[in-house]
Amino acid sequence: MKLYADHVAGGFFMVLGAVVIALSGDLPFGQMSMPGAGFMPVLIAVLLIVFGAALILRARENRPFSDIGWDDGRHAAQVLAITVVAVALYATLGFVITMTLMMAFILIVIERRNVLRAAAYSVVVVVTTYVVFVHLLQSPLPGGILGD
Amino acid sequence: MESTLLSLAHGFSVALQFDNLWYAFIGCLVGTLVGVLPGIGPLSGISILLPVTFGLNATQAVIMLAGIYYGSQYGGSTTSILMRIPGEASSVMTCIDGHAMAKKGRAGAALCIAAVGSFVAGTFGIVVLTVIAPPLATIALKFGPPEYTALLVMGLIFLAYMSSTSLVRTLAMASLGLMLGMIGIDNMTGHFRYSFDLNELGDGLSIVPVAVGLFGVGEILSTPSHKIAGDVISPRFRELLPTRQEWREASWPIARGSVLGFIIGIIPGSAHIISSFLSYALERRLSKTPGEFGKGAVAGVAGPESANNSASTGAFVPMLALGIPTGPITAVLIGALMIHGVPAGPALVTEHRDLFWGFVASMYVGNVMLLLLNLPLVSVFVSVLRIPYTYLYPLIIMFCIVGVYEVNHSTVDIWIMLIMGALGYALRKFDFDPAPLVLGLVIAPLFEQSLRQSLIMSAGHYAIFFTRPIACGLLIVCAILLAASAFSFFFKRKDWRDQLAEAEAGEGQS
Repeated sequence: MKLYADHVAGGFFMVLGAVVIALSGDLPFGQMSMPGAGFMPVLIAVLLIVFGAALILRARENRPFSDIGWDDGRHAAQVLAITVVAVALYATLGFVITMTLMMAFILIVIERRNVLRAAAYSVVVVVTTYVVFVHLLQSPLPGGILGD
Repeated sequence: MESTLLSLAHGFSVALQFDNLWYAFIGCLVGTLVGVLPGIGPLSGISILLPVTFGLNATQAVIMLAGIYYGSQYGGSTTSILMRIPGEASSVMTCIDGHAMAKKGRAGAALCIAAVGSFVAGTFGIVVLTVIAPPLATIALKFGPPEYTALLVMGLIFLAYMSSTSLVRTLAMASLGLMLGMIGIDNMTGHFRYSFDLNELGDGLSIVPVAVGLFGVGEILSTPSHKIAGDVISPRFRELLPTRQEWREASWPIARGSVLGFIIGIIPGSAHIISSFLSYALERRLSKTPGEFGKGAVAGVAGPESANNSASTGAFVPMLALGIPTGPITAVLIGALMIHGVPAGPALVTEHRDLFWGFVASMYVGNVMLLLLNLPLVSVFVSVLRIPYTYLYPLIIMFCIVGVYEVNHSTVDIWIMLIMGALGYALRKFDFDPAPLVLGLVIAPLFEQSLRQSLIMSAGHYAIFFTRPIACGLLIVCAILLAASAFSFFFKRKDWRDQLAEAEAGEGQS
């Protein structure tokens, strides 16, 4: 059987609906005259399953799964990975260090830009943003190891 | 009518205060930039700048954020006409004839017609909004839980029916949004739901990390830097004025686009996008020279640009009068009002008159600002387009992180944003529109509360939705829309979406 994109999407919605129902076991469903905390989630989970099934039934009307282009996937994964590391270090190292490193890494490692130019751009942009947020907009940013 | 005019005059006294003028200007300027820059739309722009408004009062905050919204509709036309890249989704149709006009040496005229059309349509929209929002809010005060439940169901069905993707896909996304809206403490019983012992999830998923993740990070992940390239056509200032013939060709499309856009704007869905598509199709059908469309027809710029601006104003009617978002952007604006302790809906019009009328008046002022900004400063905005996207997107990621963190000073929110970013990337691959998800998330608490309250009121009988006239009327509209969709589903009839897609495909080939 040929796999279509909506087979995968529909399957995702159905599994999600089933997982929500399974996780809702502890929540009281209540009665129709007094619906409990589990009433609405179960109702929506059923809808997810129904819509997932409808997607699977009409999957052939959309494109095959193999037609989805993932050529930008490598770029997306690289950007996401660098951002994940930056977020993990954000509270510890603070805004200035983390964001400078993140921008410089993206420009140098992913985009292959000139190291000096990328570093200078990152520092100028991050420091300017810090000054604007902290001093002009009075909106504090995490200082991290540099302190507040 | 007299009281409306008096209230509007009071609104102008609020909007013309120096601080409010300043924030309207900032909103319009940022909105224009957001519209000009590819890879960042009005939703992510508003979401990222939401924390900046925490230090402002509610009136200033909503004036600035709304300025970003309608400013982006103006700015989106610049990249469409000069680069053939829609800076904003609603500018897709402007690309076709706007860029064709630019290639014929009429870039300045196309920009001027787009700006004037946007101004006329935006102002028309505000006039109608001024007249109909207050009486609508008075009617809405009579709404109880069953009416609100029916109204929200109708909103979702309308959204699905008007969506450019299929009904099932839109409803599936809205359900996913409703599901995410269930996370956190149940307001009626105090039960923790799906929070997995994370205190930060107790209050539920905030709209900002979800919206910024889906629309900001998701867009960047789906846009490889090497694909953003293009030559910018630079118009000279003296070339900005259209000829008399071009004005004549633009006048009726602007008028029609203004009316059509406003009507569609009130209906839930990606109104400003749909309105520009429909306006283009309408102008092409009415034109005596349909063959000119795609080759630089003035009506192909004037109609869609007017329609999308009028629609963005129309979208404020249900938001302000009923407290119901018609799309993700108005949903974020409602979120912004709630952060400032102001409920959207009838109470806004009756109990927060300064805010409501100040906001309405600021839109008149904002439209004049945008006209003055967009025409003389077009060369400045064009120079922004020369910043390579490679340098721009790391900056946008940084603003996404800062914007989300600043709401609650929580790194959990940033993790949610990243998860939503990855989800947004996957959704685009599978041709799902993330907008209904955001809408579902926002209406989830109101929807759940009104449904459960309705059932409690009626001792568990669903008949309450059919015995109350307003609720019953709204549900009849839902049934008609569902029947229309089911008809095309089972009998494989082409509905307006398919016909429009075919028309545009034909346009693209010509």
